[in-house]
Amino acid sequence: MILHNYDLYEDCYRVRLLASCTEQELELVNVDAFPGAEEKSETYLKLNPLGRLPILEDGDVILRDLAAILIYVAEKDAKARFIPTEAKARAAMFDWLGFACGDLSVATQARAVALLDAPGDGVALRAQARALFRVLDDHLTRQALSGQGYVAGDTATLADLALFPAFALSRDFNLDHDEFPALRLWARRMRTLPGFITMPGIPDYH
Amino acid sequence: MTQSGWVPVALSAMIEAGTSAGVVVDGAEIVVWRDISGKAHAWEDRCPHRGMKMSFGFVRGDHIACLYHGWEYDESGNCQYIPAHPDLEVPKSICISRYGVAETGGMIWAHVPLGSEAGAAPELAEAEGLRSLYVDASVAAVASALGSDVSGSMLTVSTADVALSIGVQPISDTQCALHVTVPMGTSVEEKNAVLDWCEALRRQVENSEAMA
Repeated sequence: MILHNYDLYEDCYRVRLLASCTEQELELVNVDAFPGAEEKSETYLKLNPLGRLPILEDGDVILRDLAAILIYVAEKDAKARFIPTEAKARAAMFDWLGFACGDLSVATQARAVALLDAPGDGVALRAQARALFRVLDDHLTRQALSGQGYVAGDTATLADLALFPAFALSRDFNLDHDEFPALRLWARRMRTLPGFITMPGIPDYH
Repeated sequence: MTQSGWVPVALSAMIEAGTSAGVVVDGAEIVVWRDISGKAHAWEDRCPHRGMKMSFGFVRGDHIACLYHGWEYDESGNCQYIPAHPDLEVPKSICISRYGVAETGGMIWAHVPLGSEAGAAPELAEAEGLRSLYVDASVAAVASALGSDVSGSMLTVSTADVALSIGVQPISDTQCALHVTVPMGTSVEEKNAVLDWCEALRRQVENSEAMA
């Protein structure tokens, strides 16, 4: 599998993290996204007319939607670790995966505005991200009552892996972790997953 | 305008051994951390080297280390090790100021302001921490919404047949944290009802703040 990658994009990190936790090799093709905007070059627009990263290539499969890429990589996991098979847990996982890849894209945007000169209302995006972190913190607080340490059960799923980068990188757009105690404990558990890797902005030591 | 006294800063259960968290009391930034032996500490949240928040750092045994350059401090707040100068005997003057710290009622408490003489900590009944609720409103606005008075940084409220003991942490004029505890032995159903109540309270108080 080839990942057209930019190291500082959290969506690319999401794919790298999943590949690492599922023990799959990714061939990284590093794209000069900032400041070069190479993903919007003629060559890259042929691969993804939306002009965005990440892009995953696997033989004749070309994927450019974050959720589609994550599901594809998770389904190629020989040990099928991160997509539950039981219907309820599976549905809960997809529910939170949608939250991670859809709703929480405001956190990705807030960070891009703060760090990478992207256009947008940083203050409004940060407020939206904070409201979503509260939703997640409330949910994990309830999960803990029934002894479940992750968003869709008592083990980490694809949804947890997709959610983790938004929280771990939120200090990049000046949203601190103080107000989200349940998220803090969950993030600490995520760090202990076999194969866990970091990216710039996420400290190695914890 | 900080009054001198004990303030709850976290639920005991939310600060696991070997972890740290940043908290704010009336604008003062505090790192709360628990060493590997389980002892809680509350310090000024600032590394004397470059001003980095210690709460971003990591706990190693009974030391806490700064994320930035790894300066390591022992439980008395003295810097013991500087990785860039491994052979240096670190001068005693490099240290972090500590708050008086106590644990009671399922909460970790700090004595504020920094440097104040800490009297005996409150002695509260054993309780189970349910959640810390962060609200965009002053302590006074929350107390008024609950029709209850804050006494010794505590609010007591009954809801869904559960008697709650709530530790109140003022963060700023527009923000506070409520450390909600329930009596030992409260059932999961009752706890879920209290969590519903918490989320509704936050919406109610914040909506009326937005209208004000």
